[in-house]
Amino acid sequence: MATTVSPDRSQRRLRFGVDTLFLILALIYLLVPLGAMLAFGLSGDSLFSSFQKIFSDKDFYNTLLTSLELAVTATLLSLILITPTAYWVQIRLPKLRVLLEILSLIPFAVPAIVLSLGLLEVYGTPDTLTAIFSFGLVPLLSGPPFTIANTPPLLACAYVIISLPFVYRPIDNSLRALNATVLTEAGQSLGANWWNIFWHVILPNIWPGMISAALLTFSTAMGEYTLASLFGIYTFPNYLNQVGQMDPHEAASLSVFSFILTLICVLAIILLLRRRADAAGSEGGSEIVAIK
Amino acid sequence: MSFLVFEDMVKYFGKLTAVDHISLSIEQGEFLTLLGPSGCGKTTMLRMVAGFEQPDGGRILLDGEDITQRAARKRPMGMVFQSYALFPHMTAEQNIAFGMNMKKLPSEHIRKRCAELLELVDLAGRGRHYPHQLSGGQQQRIALARALAVEPKVLLLDEPLSALDARVRVSLRNEIRRIQQQLAMTAIYVTHDQEEALAISDRIAVMAKGKVEQIDQPEEIYRNPRTAFAATFVGTTNQFTGTLDSAREGLCRIGNQLFQIPAQPTLADGAVVLVVVRPEEIALHATDEAVDTAQNGRGNYLDGVIELRTFLGPFTRFHIQLSEQGKLTADIPSRLVEGYTVGHRVQVSFPPEACQVLPLDQASQAASSLLEVEAI
Repeated sequence: MATTVSPDRSQRRLRFGVDTLFLILALIYLLVPLGAMLAFGLSGDSLFSSFQKIFSDKDFYNTLLTSLELAVTATLLSLILITPTAYWVQIRLPKLRVLLEILSLIPFAVPAIVLSLGLLEVYGTPDTLTAIFSFGLVPLLSGPPFTIANTPPLLACAYVIISLPFVYRPIDNSLRALNATVLTEAGQSLGANWWNIFWHVILPNIWPGMISAALLTFSTAMGEYTLASLFGIYTFPNYLNQVGQMDPHEAASLSVFSFILTLICVLAIILLLRRRADAAGSEGGSEIVAIK
Repeated sequence: MSFLVFEDMVKYFGKLTAVDHISLSIEQGEFLTLLGPSGCGKTTMLRMVAGFEQPDGGRILLDGEDITQRAARKRPMGMVFQSYALFPHMTAEQNIAFGMNMKKLPSEHIRKRCAELLELVDLAGRGRHYPHQLSGGQQQRIALARALAVEPKVLLLDEPLSALDARVRVSLRNEIRRIQQQLAMTAIYVTHDQEEALAISDRIAVMAKGKVEQIDQPEEIYRNPRTAFAATFVGTTNQFTGTLDSAREGLCRIGNQLFQIPAQPTLADGAVVLVVVRPEEIALHATDEAVDTAQNGRGNYLDGVIELRTFLGPFTRFHIQLSEQGKLTADIPSRLVEGYTVGHRVQVSFPPEACQVLPLDQASQAASSLLEVEAI
């Protein structure tokens, strides 16, 4: 006896098949090059010889540590600089929002090489005009004891600049979605000062935006090559490039490692975000916590 | 001295005068409503009391103390917002506790007070729910509890029911009033809904274009409006523009007909007036019946045709096209409307005492023309 399938079920089967097909194709598109790279990396003198060489190289650890430090510094600096600025503009200076949006888009228009040469010129040989416009800050940082030109702190600041579009937009969107103005007024009506409102009311609610901003800044800084090269700072991408010129198997292995490292960081951030979202959404929330 | 005093308050937004030299005072424990259309300045007044807007002139005195320049967070006010403004990442209990946490009160006291307030707003057991897990009405109750938690001297409510559906609005406004009376809390309520204002206020300040048109008890505003705006904004009205034929005898010419109105000793013959009649003051007669009533000689009688009949439960609303004076709305008890149908020729009548007569100067004419009066 022939079995008949209802139209709904057959439609669902068709949809399931098509969805799965596209998913498989996308995964193939993404994973095959990675797999090929891994296979090439493992096809050196012996199975894991390239990884052994990498992990026994001091430069690997030094450059990785440098890049991680720069990425973390740039991420923290970006968040600390942009979050309160975006909040303040939204609450007190809404007319300046347009200006801030334009400023945040400028890094897209400025190539990294132009940025680095500009920074090196400004901090390397500051002139009178620069001193005036910077209220004396640039000459102060350019000379001893800071002598900031060509140093990791200046490179971190440069990373902050190039990450500006990726930081401002998600945070601003989060603030707008939150209706930060009304919540601020609610906080004020309950006796909270600006800091308490920002820390206890605003920040917890724009956390997803901040996470997105952090993610993008971190990954941008970890993978940035041009600025670091021009600054003469030996970061992980520079090491990757150097290794690639000497041993393609090592370069391939390093690339896979770099990808996995970034993936782990991204997954960790996403898990953190999801955990916070789940905690906020679940019934039975937490006990009243006295805010100290 | 009154508990809360506004002295000559002024506020500009660019070229717009949002609040135009308003002075009023509120007694302790009073529930005052600021009622008016959008843009009349009522919310601006409230925000100045809360400290979110700085006045460009005038003073605010609370219990004799000038708080005009005081920061919002230092004013002893609690505020309930139209959009609830609950903190989304905190439970209901944590929202209520927030203000007490800011004051660094002991944890045990906070816990106890939260339980009391949840009980007060009828949401005991919902303390651990997050705002998105509560209905709109429940959220607003939590917002009310949160505002009360800091033991404010004045409770400010900015159109708290606007975002709620009609049924919840009615029950929640009664709850707000009950709680306010139970706590003997001084409250300032802002709304554009006249029914809300009439139902729960001790006094209503009717506002238009930055000014207070009339401040009085609800019944007084409804029965004896002192300006054309107050007459037309509060309640449904029928309005006729006429000229006083005899102010002393109370005769007003509207169209080609002479109306009997209360004597107007303060007005002169020939003055242009607005005659306002509430729909519930109007009686409906079949045209054959009108012959007998006209012989009594007292009252105003107009001929018309029923254009629309709307059953509203206890009363039925008729929209009648009059022969000469335009359209008229009449609310008749539903038990008396049998036989009156659309297209029926009728006569309407109302006694002179039902007429509220207001001098119609240019400003009042302009104010009246801006309103959408529910005559149709």
